[in-house]
Amino acid sequence: MKGLFKSKPKTPVDLVRQTRDLLIYADRNSSDTRESKREEKMLELSKLIRELKSILYGNSESEPVSEACAQLTQEFFRENTLRLLIICLPKLNLEARKDATQVVANLQRQQVQSRLIACDYLEANIDLMDILVSGYENTDMALHYGAMLRECIRHQSVARYVLESAHVKKFFDFIQLPNFDIAADAAATFKELLTRHKSTVAEFLSKNYDWFFAEYNSKLLESTNYITRRQAIKLLGDMLLDRSNSAVMTRYVSSRDNLRILMNLLRESSKSIQIEAFHVFKLFAANQNKPPDIISILVANRSKLLRLFADFKTEKGMLPIVLGLVAASFELYVKAE
Amino acid sequence: MAHQEELESHINTSKTQYPLDPSSYKILAEVGRGMSAVVYKAACLPVNAAAVAIKSIDLDRSKADFDRIRRESQTMSLLSHPNILKAHCSFTVGRRLWVVMPFMSAGSVQSIISSSFPNGIPEPCIGVVLKETLTALCYLHDQGNLHRDIKAGNILMDSNGSVKLADFGVSASIYELNPVYKSFSDITGTLYWMAPEVIHSQSGVGYDFKADIWSFGITALELAHGRPPLSHLPFSKSLIMKITRRFRFSDYEDGANGDKNRKFSKAFKDMVGLCLDQDPSKRPSAEKLLRHPFFRSCNKGCDFLVKNLLQGLLSVEERFKEKKILEENSSEGFCLEESVVKQRRISGWNFNLEGFELDPVFPSERFDLEDEVVKQVRFGGEMIIREKGGGESSDASNSSSPGQVLNGGGGGGAGGGGGGGGGVDREGMVGSLVVLKKSLEDQREKVVNMIGILGGGGVEEGSNDSSGEMISLREEQLMQVIEKLRMELDNEKKKNFELGLELEFLKLQLSSTSD
Repeated sequence: MKGLFKSKPKTPVDLVRQTRDLLIYADRNSSDTRESKREEKMLELSKLIRELKSILYGNSESEPVSEACAQLTQEFFRENTLRLLIICLPKLNLEARKDATQVVANLQRQQVQSRLIACDYLEANIDLMDILVSGYENTDMALHYGAMLRECIRHQSVARYVLESAHVKKFFDFIQLPNFDIAADAAATFKELLTRHKSTVAEFLSKNYDWFFAEYNSKLLESTNYITRRQAIKLLGDMLLDRSNSAVMTRYVSSRDNLRILMNLLRESSKSIQIEAFHVFKLFAANQNKPPDIISILVANRSKLLRLFADFKTEKGMLPIVLGLVAASFELYVKAE
Repeated sequence: MAHQEELESHINTSKTQYPLDPSSYKILAEVGRGMSAVVYKAACLPVNAAAVAIKSIDLDRSKADFDRIRRESQTMSLLSHPNILKAHCSFTVGRRLWVVMPFMSAGSVQSIISSSFPNGIPEPCIGVVLKETLTALCYLHDQGNLHRDIKAGNILMDSNGSVKLADFGVSASIYELNPVYKSFSDITGTLYWMAPEVIHSQSGVGYDFKADIWSFGITALELAHGRPPLSHLPFSKSLIMKITRRFRFSDYEDGANGDKNRKFSKAFKDMVGLCLDQDPSKRPSAEKLLRHPFFRSCNKGCDFLVKNLLQGLLSVEERFKEKKILEENSSEGFCLEESVVKQRRISGWNFNLEGFELDPVFPSERFDLEDEVVKQVRFGGEMIIREKGGGESSDASNSSSPGQVLNGGGGGGAGGGGGGGGGVDREGMVGSLVVLKKSLEDQREKVVNMIGILGGGGVEEGSNDSSGEMISLREEQLMQVIEKLRMELDNEKKKNFELGLELEFLKLQLSSTSD
């Protein structure tokens, strides 16, 4: 395959084709091939993937050329290269896996004639997301598949698919895996899913309100794991404070159970958790249509809460202002009673 | 239970798998401590009690975003190179993140220097250490990663002489950028190694591969002389010098000529000179640098380092213990004044935060006391510096009385503590005095600058100082102005953010009313 002479530099299209051929080979890879031959081919494959990467990202000598990138992207998605690459990823060595991940990430953003053709491809091959999500169950593949997944859900339609699939439920467990790298990766993906595409998220949250927040509360906000609680309370604040989720927010802050959980988080010894919890708590207090049971809890704990906030005030930053507002509305409210 | 198997496996398939629960590790000794991290030596019981280093990071002390911690930690687990210290695994234990790494029994090159080679290590050893480090840097850069914190404190050695670059991932340095817990002066620990363009950009935004090359050059000088250049100066001065003049290796050497037999090869000087070009684009890439004659001619291996660097070295634990005693003695004096504590971080503490030990700067700074005045004159050859040198010494006498008071207290406490600690105690005192002096000097300068800015001091300066001093003052004033503007900008940003929040809140109230 390799000529004796240094041949002309291969075109991007050639590179993609050769990569695809080798991927097909790696995928079939039955026992009939000799080990040495196989190794040689895998090595070749690794080199090709690296070359693809350097076309897309450039290297120390040159910046990427948009023309070459477009050609590469077009050829890549003309056939099923992405599927092959994802399936064969476990057979590659560490360096090739990392290169492949970067290639896939980059391709998601490449435009061909001002179209994101990666998106079209993924919509037609949406089952690939199933493979990527299940990557979190495989310690060796989790970080690679996870990174690819996060890039793919930049496309709204793809994110919608993942949100509406049964996969979403798995994230509640992935986030709490003991391996920090993997758990944190899953958390990043989860956050991306629930914050990136506003309209999709709003729709998802309203449709799935009951089970979603039941799980969210019990598995994440009340987790025994510090990191889980801290990340979950932050994400909750991000979701509820987003205007596109205002309907969901109104519903959330009308629940007494939710208030109880939030008030427990306010009592945490961790300052970071306390502060994030406060940002959600203030929504309960600011709600102009508080249900009676919420009112009675707030009133019963009024002095304790104000004392707690007084502690916050000594913290620097923007808290005092918000606190002032909340305390004021609180006072007003209680007087109106 | 089904989980357990995959949980216990690790990203790195081919190697031993390290368990992800704290009970599998037996902590043996503390070998390093920083702002939000502690490093322990531990035994991993299920893996034949293999020695590991565990860096335990307090996650609650930082508001650092998880994204960044995640990315850096992941990068670290996905790297694979013989000269890069890779994490075995990481997991959380309560509020702390435990990063389990191989235990490098000889500790950081910085700690080797401070315990055995206070004036720098021999050039042949420098060559080997740097070459191994550069190989790691090549790999990192090739992968698209930056290290951002290259210094001798982050170059670790094992007892077999192997050299590994450490600590770009989940290191305390992440938290150093966190403005909530640290003021500007606190992040300066590593600034002596930092490229001028990075310092210019204030937040490290302007960082690229070439900034690592600068730090690499500074590290070369650190190995050669036992400390980074300009570290005898308070940071603000070092900053100005770095920005306003071309820093040259030869200047450094002239100044350090206290011991005559420190001669370095032309190739070495040339190599360092290339790294320390003010213009980042003129610095060579790591790959190119590796082809420099200095490294091409360097063909010694790990054994050479074992023979020449590691002989008779105290263990990492012992070194840490010694330094700790020193620290404790000196810190008793420090607690009394907050600004002094901050200053101490700049000159000593932060240097080795991520390495395996703490202190080294104080001892070498003691030499600097006398030497440096001379050195400064040679270094700049300008009036400014002599003036400052003079100011420094007169300041030292001014500051001596409060210093003695502090030390009186500190010394008494230490004397009560341990009978055998007399000598160490004295060193601690000197260390604290030096630091105190510098802090005072720094403060004095700030005050002078303030007066200058306010216009009131114009007469005073004009009467006292030569024109050289005027220029330097002008520079410092500009620095001060920049600093002030930056703070104003920060304040504006904060205000903007607050207003945004308030707006958000009002909107919220509005929308709930309309509901």
